Amino acid sequence: MANLLSAARAGSEDALGQIVNELSPLLWQVARSAGLSQGDAEDVLQTVWIRLITHLDGIHEATALTGWLVTTTKREAWRVRAAGRKQVLADQDVFADLPDQGPGSEEQVILDDQRRALWAALGQLPRRCQELLRIMAFTPRPDYAAVAAALGMPVGSIGPTRGRCLAKLRILLADGPDGSLA
Amino acid sequence: MTPPEPGRLPSADEPLDDADIGVLGDIRGLFESADPMPADLPERIRFGLALRDLEVEVARLAEEDQLAVAARGEEQSRTITFDSDSLTIMIRIDANRDGTVRVDGWLAPPQCRQVEIKTAAEPLTVASDAQGRFAFARVPCGMAQLIVHSPEPSSGDTRSVVTPALII
Repeated sequence: MANLLSAARAGSEDALGQIVNELSPLLWQVARSAGLSQGDAEDVLQTVWIRLITHLDGIHEATALTGWLVTTTKREAWRVRAAGRKQVLADQDVFADLPDQGPGSEEQVILDDQRRALWAALGQLPRRCQELLRIMAFTPRPDYAAVAAALGMPVGSIGPTRGRCLAKLRILLADGPDGSLA
Repeated sequence: MTPPEPGRLPSADEPLDDADIGVLGDIRGLFESADPMPADLPERIRFGLALRDLEVEVARLAEEDQLAVAARGEEQSRTITFDSDSLTIMIRIDANRDGTVRVDGWLAPPQCRQVEIKTAAEPLTVASDAQGRFAFARVPCGMAQLIVHSPEPSSGDTRSVVTPALII
């Protein structure tokens, strides 16, 4: 990523394109977990990447790049929500609708049960934890701390350490479907 | 409820282990199926980033309306408004019979500028009139991006204004 960044700063469209491919899925989750509709999230991502071009000269490290992108995406998402041009699904219950993987083998059914258990456990976590884990899951490992900072989380809480959200999730999973921390 | 065995209760202060990395990978998989990014979005973003002029102002999509105008059904008209700090760009897109589209636009505040529409084919450039009106009679369907070029000679800090890429 560091090499791609310096190539992009030197004007390589190809390198910039690879960075777009690499980090857009993360920014999508940031925008969507901020409560934007699909259409608004698409607009916000385009805006953020175009704005990056004018800021690229000031960004020298890959972690700073990821942090800048996440911060700017959050800020743009707030701006769009504040403008209120579309009804925002603030209370969207994303955990209600885990799509089926389709019919499958016995192996698939077991896998599906595991997915459902994880989905259910995620749904039991506080909203802040849901958002954090959702975004962390799409974050390249070296950038955890930068992204945590961009999300307004104390760096120590998820930098090199497991953090409370992941610890809670693992306890929920270990306890099975009937376990509850509530 | 019995407390989990002390040995396997994961503390928040411990470093991430393989199981954590595995769980995060599983979470990613879940959200990739529950809320996938549109597959063509990175391509549209890359299209919108291929700019020669790096001193640009970004116009954000402010409003979009879609009206089915003709009884035939396939002919539709869309109006889209983009806002930037210095300029509002409004465009209306109508289907031509030959499969291309006509794009009529207005700049506010009204001004004469070079307006470019970047497409998958050759870019097209027209000039807006004193009322801020401009028109592209035939634009190929597909990805498109508008660029309102800075006045020449460049006056003060008026920069080029670009819109996000859109599908027309």
